[in-house]
Amino acid sequence: MFFWQELNQVESNPVGFFFMKCVPRRNLIVIKPAWLALACFLASQDLISASAGLPDGGKLFRQQCARCHGQKGEGVKYKFDQPLQGDRSIEKLTRYIERSMPDDDPGTCVGDDATTVARYIYDSFYSQEARWRKDPPRVQLVRLTNRQILNTVADLLGIFSGSKPVSPTAERGLRGEYYASKESDRNHLVLERVDRQIDFDFDATIPDQKMGGTNSFSVNWNGSLIVDETGEYEFFIRTANGVRLYVNGPDEPLIDQWVSSGQLTEHHGRVRLIGGRMYPLQLRLFRFKDKTNSISLQWKPPQARQQSIPERNLSPVQTSPTFVVTTPFPPDDSSVGYERGVLVSKAWDEATTQAAIEIANHVTAHLDLFTKSKPDATNRLTKVNSFCDDFVSAAFRHPLTAEQKKRHITDQFKRGKTAEDAVKRAVLLALKSPQFLYLGLDDLKPDDFVIASRLAFGLWDSLPDRDLEAAAAKGELHTREQLAAQARRMLADPRAHAKTLAFLHHWLQMDRVESLSKDGQLFPGFTAEIISDLRASLDIFLEDTFWGKKPDYRTLLQADYLFVDNRLARFYGFPTNTTDEFVRVQPDDGQRSGVLTHPYLLSAFSYSKQTSPIHRGVFLTRNIVGRALKPPPIAVAFKDAEFAPNLTMREKVSALTRPQNCQTCHSVINPLGFSLEHYDAVGRLRTSEQNRPIDTTGEFVTSDGETILLTGARDIAQMAIASDSALNTFIEQMFHQVVKQPIYAYGFDVKNRLRESFVASDYNLQKLLVEIVVTSAIHRSDNQRSSKIKP
Amino acid sequence: MNAMHRRQFIERLGLSAAALPFILGLPSLGLAAPARPRQRLVIMFSPNGTVPQDFWPDEAGELSKLKPILSPLEPFKDRMLVLHGLSNKVRGDGDGHMRGMSCLLTGIELFPGNIQGGSDTPAGWAKGPSIDQEIKQFLQSREETRTRFGSLEFGVGVTDRADPWTRMSYAGPNQPVAPISDPYQMYQKLYGQLRDRENLRSILDDVRGDLRKVRQLVSAEDRRMIEQHESLVRQMENEIADATHRKLRVAPPALETGVADQNDNVPRLSRMQIDLLVNSFVNDMARVATLQYTKSVGQARMNWLGVSDNHHSLSHEPDKDTTAQEKLVKINTWFAGELRYLVEKLANTPEPGDTGSLFDNTLIVWTNELGKGSSHTLDNIPFVLLGGGFGFKLGRTLQFDKIAHNRFHLALAHAVGHRIEAFGKRELCDGGPLSLS
Repeated sequence: MFFWQELNQVESNPVGFFFMKCVPRRNLIVIKPAWLALACFLASQDLISASAGLPDGGKLFRQQCARCHGQKGEGVKYKFDQPLQGDRSIEKLTRYIERSMPDDDPGTCVGDDATTVARYIYDSFYSQEARWRKDPPRVQLVRLTNRQILNTVADLLGIFSGSKPVSPTAERGLRGEYYASKESDRNHLVLERVDRQIDFDFDATIPDQKMGGTNSFSVNWNGSLIVDETGEYEFFIRTANGVRLYVNGPDEPLIDQWVSSGQLTEHHGRVRLIGGRMYPLQLRLFRFKDKTNSISLQWKPPQARQQSIPERNLSPVQTSPTFVVTTPFPPDDSSVGYERGVLVSKAWDEATTQAAIEIANHVTAHLDLFTKSKPDATNRLTKVNSFCDDFVSAAFRHPLTAEQKKRHITDQFKRGKTAEDAVKRAVLLALKSPQFLYLGLDDLKPDDFVIASRLAFGLWDSLPDRDLEAAAAKGELHTREQLAAQARRMLADPRAHAKTLAFLHHWLQMDRVESLSKDGQLFPGFTAEIISDLRASLDIFLEDTFWGKKPDYRTLLQADYLFVDNRLARFYGFPTNTTDEFVRVQPDDGQRSGVLTHPYLLSAFSYSKQTSPIHRGVFLTRNIVGRALKPPPIAVAFKDAEFAPNLTMREKVSALTRPQNCQTCHSVINPLGFSLEHYDAVGRLRTSEQNRPIDTTGEFVTSDGETILLTGARDIAQMAIASDSALNTFIEQMFHQVVKQPIYAYGFDVKNRLRESFVASDYNLQKLLVEIVVTSAIHRSDNQRSSKIKP
Repeated sequence: MNAMHRRQFIERLGLSAAALPFILGLPSLGLAAPARPRQRLVIMFSPNGTVPQDFWPDEAGELSKLKPILSPLEPFKDRMLVLHGLSNKVRGDGDGHMRGMSCLLTGIELFPGNIQGGSDTPAGWAKGPSIDQEIKQFLQSREETRTRFGSLEFGVGVTDRADPWTRMSYAGPNQPVAPISDPYQMYQKLYGQLRDRENLRSILDDVRGDLRKVRQLVSAEDRRMIEQHESLVRQMENEIADATHRKLRVAPPALETGVADQNDNVPRLSRMQIDLLVNSFVNDMARVATLQYTKSVGQARMNWLGVSDNHHSLSHEPDKDTTAQEKLVKINTWFAGELRYLVEKLANTPEPGDTGSLFDNTLIVWTNELGKGSSHTLDNIPFVLLGGGFGFKLGRTLQFDKIAHNRFHLALAHAVGHRIEAFGKRELCDGGPLSLS
């Protein structure tokens, strides 16, 4: 097992946007020289004494170092091919050069030489600012990402079908109407109640005495499904009776087994749903002379096991259907750590075309609903025409120009044979148009509608709603405060929650966990159900923190509590509760520390049989502490069998990473990883390994050269909260997930400004989100600028 | 040209695999002569039994003058084979109508279930596939007989309800196949993409106009992406133009517009469906079709014949009620007339790329779920066969003595080369396929 390989798989976007090159998964990692093998060969006395006192750093570099590092630190093939970029301070660079350079003769480039060369490197190309000056990134024209297409289309059609995202009320479950007849007619209604879950054996318990007998039984459940993640959902109904299940609309049942076959059978159906929305759900059951009478309704969400639909995902509130595009799209580019629409390919063009056809067919099939008119009505044509006008301008997120009106509406009505035909053409054309497919076409002269669009895509990955549109039309999107007020309003929308959750999943690499399983002998009981519940537990914690009364970043890292259901409580030895739902517990004497010690992540960053301080350490380094790591220089396999059996994991990892060129990074990674050794491969607290007490102590050297003593997760959390670079990492990741443009395109100091206001707001996560969206929305690109400007 | 040929054709054109859905989703292109004559099967269903004395020929052997109900088919009697004496011997759950319908083409029992008929025990769906679907799956499994759809299920006036009275086709146990009763829906299924393609072709020019326009708005760096997009649109235009050159053998039929799916429109709906059926055969979209008129216990009121009573209620009237019997004869004769329209249409359509007509290579089976309405008997179920598709000896009546209809299913399967030993309930296959050639 090559752990480097695995590290590449779990690696997230690093601290610096610039120096993250897409690291392809490789089967074999090419051996490269050590990180920062600064080749100060031949540091001659002449050069050092050249200009009275201080040597010329640039000259020194060009003459002494460029041979291996390139004239501009870009690297040299077959010598040192990595560009000289990083986040160390000048002091650290100096010390490194003094100690290690030149590679073959360390100790000959010291004192003023080392200092001036370090300063030259730092200012010219090494530091983030140097790189920004050299090649400032810009806000790119992008096409909609797949996620944005799904949301935009759903909301675009929702405008006309009258469906819009609603938030659930506090009540959970489905409303059940019980009838003492096989037909659901009001005369036989005997009972109405809210059922928390659908999992009943009516043979054992009759809901109402009037419902006895084999042919006097039917139930009608109604309500909504609360969906968190986007993807394919599979539904399962187990019953021997007649059932019909409608998910997301009455057009066609997802499961239609009204005619039963007498035996207990599992029926299933699949449907694609978009996260952050509610969908109407209706389930009808009837019994007629069937021998048994029972039903269970289960689902399998993406990334989870098949399970009874939990109470928290059911609401008795009625909602209207959402249109979900079923055309599959090729995956978006995410090589820089976030999905962005920077490529147009043939496959993408065809997907947009097929989706446009799918949508146009849907619109024409429901034209009466969308236009609120009847086919034979005298005003049909007027209604259809004005629908097209509204549809196209909503799709373009902008009122239409006269030219657009002609091309997109008038011409299509001229050429279409019937009203239906004209609509179909107008819809097809709108959805194939760049004004629909791209974001940023008007960046060179953004008006209020463009600002509205940026806010909406920033917070929702979707179109502006009516309120935003109205504000744009009234010219009320000019000041920072106006934008912030809109953004704060928009936070309450479930789409903002869904987008935030997607960001948090990315930050915690939860979107990378594909298969999590543990050795059954060592960890009996660590079942698929446990894994699924752990993920739910972490989601509940994230939601609770981000959207609770005090949305504090520090809670994410420091909470000494977590949410568990009884299954988890029993497995982890936490106190159980009386309900079957997730409740808050404060286990392990307050040693837990937010996401750092959440058992889902501890398990995900572990091997099947042992912990993995390296996986844990790399995650902490990159995503929590905020330090950049280069790809590993050599491929090293972790083979447990090669170590003496009585060694602890800490001892094995220490031995494995002892070589000097490993230590460049592992001096950072290992102490972080070791400090979580109190938790085993499934995240249970432990005090010993191999009958020896666990050692979690370690010294962590910050990028400023300060040494911090770590004894456990809580120390890491404390250090991260106090560290600018840690906060920067979090802010940058949020920025990239939300805005989907490089943060430095908005100015070199934007990150610092965001961090300062974040700290000043007591680490308020919601305020940070608002700040990020407003900053990106209000941004004006320089008209004159092409790709390079001087700061 | 079947699907496989088309794929090769497209490969020769050098289109990428990604382009396939756009081209492959289209109806058949031209048709080359097949290596073996095509074999097609149409099963036409009308409900509620027949009126025996006005239906069955008086004796076995060569067909002479036809009885009133079959009289519309007089011109085709030398291409006709009447099978008298076949029984649906499947028993078990479900009333006579349910078993009559759901065991008619499956020859196997129904699952116990929750649907209660007028008598007997409640039942569910059939326990096995129907013969049309069995043959379809056989033809689809072989490259030389594979078509885009394999089979098409047409309905006329079938109610929008799913139960054992409304389904005769089954893809397998518990898998009823719903007929499409709305000709516009069928048209969309057969030719929808053709219209989509046409609409798409005509808007792509405007898309390019839009792209040209926005190209001016964006910075030099961003222009590259727009230009790339423009070239993709051009590419798609070319591919569509290319596909448009390859025409269908026959154009889609021009359907009357705005015919709602309701009782009084049944005669028009029937003709529209038959037109679509024959059209789909010429374009070789399917080799098997069912044409289901209403359903078992169907209550069509044939006002257009001057019969305002419900069909099923009428069928229950005693034999001595001559008024009712006359009406039933009228109703059944009307079905025969629709059958004649289908036969004529097939006979008048040349077999693509071959000699003869579609009728020469098609077998039509007209059947019913009951032998006789008033008695609800499952004996002597009408089976009238027309057309040369299966190589049966035509122009005659065969008289059997209440033999299981499963043996007829076997004969159909064997005639297309699908040599199964049993179909449906094994015990009912004793004696093997009926010898009809």
